[in-house]
Amino acid sequence: MSTLPADLAALVRADSVHKRVYTDPDLFALEMKYIYGRAWIYVGHESQVPTTGDYHTTLLGDQEVILVRAADGQVHVLYNRCPHKGAKVVPEGDGSAGKFFRCPYHAWTFRLDGTHLAAPMKMAFEGTCFDPKHPDFSMRRVARVESYRGFVFASQATDGPDLQSFLGGVKSSIDNLCDRSPQGEVEVAGGVFRVLQRSNWKVFYENLHDTMHARVTHESSFTAAREKAAQLGEMPFELLIQDGNGEPYEFWEKLELRAYDNGHGYMAGIFNPGAADRDPVSRAHLAALSAVHGDERAREIMGMNRHNTVIYGSGSPHTVFQQFRVIRPLAVDRTLVEIQVFRLKGAPDAVFKRAMLYANIVNSPSSNVMPDDIEVYARCQQGNLANGGDWVSMHRYAGTDRPEPGGMVSVNGTSELPMRNQFAAWKQFMVSGAEQEVA
Amino acid sequence: MLLDLDFDVSTAALRPAPLSLETQRGVEQFLYREARLLDERRLAEWLTLWTPDGMYWIPRAHGQASPYDHISIAWEDAMLREVRVTRLANPRNWSQLPPTRTARLLGNLMVDGETAAGELVVRATFQLTEWRSSDVHQQLAGACTYKLKQVADGGWRLHMKRVDLVNCDAMLPNLEVFV
Repeated sequence: MSTLPADLAALVRADSVHKRVYTDPDLFALEMKYIYGRAWIYVGHESQVPTTGDYHTTLLGDQEVILVRAADGQVHVLYNRCPHKGAKVVPEGDGSAGKFFRCPYHAWTFRLDGTHLAAPMKMAFEGTCFDPKHPDFSMRRVARVESYRGFVFASQATDGPDLQSFLGGVKSSIDNLCDRSPQGEVEVAGGVFRVLQRSNWKVFYENLHDTMHARVTHESSFTAAREKAAQLGEMPFELLIQDGNGEPYEFWEKLELRAYDNGHGYMAGIFNPGAADRDPVSRAHLAALSAVHGDERAREIMGMNRHNTVIYGSGSPHTVFQQFRVIRPLAVDRTLVEIQVFRLKGAPDAVFKRAMLYANIVNSPSSNVMPDDIEVYARCQQGNLANGGDWVSMHRYAGTDRPEPGGMVSVNGTSELPMRNQFAAWKQFMVSGAEQEVA
Repeated sequence: MLLDLDFDVSTAALRPAPLSLETQRGVEQFLYREARLLDERRLAEWLTLWTPDGMYWIPRAHGQASPYDHISIAWEDAMLREVRVTRLANPRNWSQLPPTRTARLLGNLMVDGETAAGELVVRATFQLTEWRSSDVHQQLAGACTYKLKQVADGGWRLHMKRVDLVNCDAMLPNLEVFV
């Protein structure tokens, strides 16, 4: 396959995208270099590594990395590779390295910032080029690491915009998630789900702002919830969050989709628990926020009623139900979604319980809602291998998007603006990556 | 809310429950029947095996002590079990075309004792094959811990079914049917 910038550019039109972007392993390999090798990618939250030596492993594209807390309180992001024989220094998962990393193969040790500490029997290196001060003998750090309100991002490129410029219009979603805590701080708590999707990573990003699929794809789950609610004569929260997908097209049309540079965006909320007086949990939450900020500011925070936010390449924070669905491409047709749930420090316990309950019902592998999605993503993956046509349509309300600073806004909530915006960013990353490589 | 229930999931502090061979056999037959109803997808019948306030629980963490302070793969009361059954039967359930077929084996079935509330605690290990297509299938394994209540006719009802998967904390594909 050719990797000329012009060939990559030709895969994305203003209103459609070539199906190869979902199915071609060579393009996937290029994405790992040109998108995941350059963009700011969410690594994890600082609360996942609270004390010195704590680590959390994850993927930056196809790269296994370690988020670690050093003795000076700084967090670092290191490639999970010992410079001696290349062994992974820590196993997959969360744990503590103690005071330093120690490779399980030959006991080379490294400080928590990755720098070389010692190798056993070092007299054997005398007269060789072995130099503990040379970076070749340390665990390598990812080029750039920045934390925004506890959310740690890393970029494998030494140059490029800073994190906040990169986030642009969706920085406010991270702010709102944190501002919902009376202390302005959140922490990952209550466990994470990890769910496998048998499809390309980009399909999930598109679906996060795809309002036209809800009542079609989720028919079996929202009708089951509605049937039960009708029997009960009420709609408890557990059913309400499955019922929302059944709203008619007119409901979705009224939502607003915001699209920002670099593929990011968000959509206005659909469950509206930000109506701060509606239920006891929200009222208790409002009271806790009001005690700190006063009623006006508290209502402003809870009134920012966003549904899914997309941080392209990283995943989707959800401010109202306090979670971050971290999206990790595994292969051209395999995607891992890790669902982190956040506790709002200082908020009533019921707010955290509601977030866990939402995750149990919507994000668990055994959710009644999610299998509908995962099935249709897999059908796209498989269908796009058939010779039934080459292009994937994004025509809905194309040409009507209204520009605004740093991005665009939809004229209708069923617009495919988010997909067009994501692929505009994809094209920019891929073409500029290829151009730099050619140069 | 389901995370505010006053439902005791603990199976510690049991007292011995000496059962006659006949009663033990009745317990075994009840649990084998439960497994069979799931495998044969006789879900309406399966729903009747439960006490009205019984809970179905698949913890997300090994040794998870509580469903109230940690997420769970499943934490379902009668309402949510019925919603799942209704959904599974919907012809527009795209992810059940074709449906999930299962076959499970229960083994190492042992009566652990009796709770203060008089529920019988039974533990079994299981192997479960799930099959939808060559692309969607998995082998599940783990332990089931049951809290059983005896009813007037001498039969049993599920008051709690806790399923501890060997890979509960791993990356998982969909689990659409009851384990």
